[in-house]
Amino acid sequence: MLIFSVFKTLTDQRVTVELKNDLSITGVLKSVDQFLNIRLDSIKVLDEARHPHMMAVKNCFIRGSVVRYVQLPAEHVDTQLLEDATRREAANQSKR
Amino acid sequence: MLPLSLLSAAQNKPMLVELKNGETFNGHLVNCDNFMNITLREVYQTSADGDRFWKLKECYIRGSTVTCAQIKYLRVPDTLLDSVKEEQARAREASRSARGAGPGSRGGPCLYFHALPRI
Amino acid sequence: MSSLQGYIDRRVLLVLQDGRAIVGVLAGFDQKSNIVVSDCRERVYSLDEGVDEIPLGLYLVKGDMIALIGEIDDAIDQAVDPSTIRAEPITPIRY
Repeated sequence: MLIFSVFKTLTDQRVTVELKNDLSITGVLKSVDQFLNIRLDSIKVLDEARHPHMMAVKNCFIRGSVVRYVQLPAEHVDTQLLEDATRREAANQSKR
Repeated sequence: MLPLSLLSAAQNKPMLVELKNGETFNGHLVNCDNFMNITLREVYQTSADGDRFWKLKECYIRGSTVTCAQIKYLRVPDTLLDSVKEEQARAREASRSARGAGPGSRGGPCLYFHALPRI
Repeated sequence: MSSLQGYIDRRVLLVLQDGRAIVGVLAGFDQKSNIVVSDCRERVYSLDEGVDEIPLGLYLVKGDMIALIGEIDDAIDQAVDPSTIRAEPITPIRY
């Protein structure tokens, strides 16, 4: 749930998503859902010569389960805040 | 149109079901459920390499093993399309009123999100 | 799963977990991202010859097989001659 929130704060930022089929796609994060499915706008495939399959695709929906990495813009992630929130959530969980 | 509505509308229609292991089953849909478990009748089964064939009177396929179903010659009656649309609208309405209880009402409080300064 | 709503009735490119690329019109979807696609055509890529399109018809694809769904910009798509494109097929998903 925390990571879902992190992604929500990153909407309209440019991110790079690496898929488990070795496709890397850069685009503007438009939306995320609870499964971490991702909607990207103005996409660009990294190695376009090798992957011309997506030439005519400008925005896409990526299934959360096939994402290997998401490269985030470091300046837009408050890691200190995230650490604190993680600790708080862990503490809450152990209380329950 | 919801995938499951389409599948139930395809009852008694011919279809080709492909499994994750590459085998295909060509037959008429007898029944299906919400997990997409399927029963077919008068089935031609084809191995993944396409080399071997079997004829089955009837078979049951577990939904979790299915890749996709190719529905052949399906004529969906307009009335069904309308009822499906109504059903979807009703479901959307229901989920909206459930969410109306306020942020964080589902899945526990969302600390990170709320802690952020509003820009 | 509101993110697929905008693709309804649009031409989409479907990339499956096994690497298949399918184009068609998105007719519906559900919570588990199971989808219904009409007028499907599989695009077969190879390094030796141009892209081959195989008509498949109406498909119901299970959500767990889907890797990516992209909206096709018809203007760009029609501007490319598929017979000139040489590319490896998309690699299957490896965990």
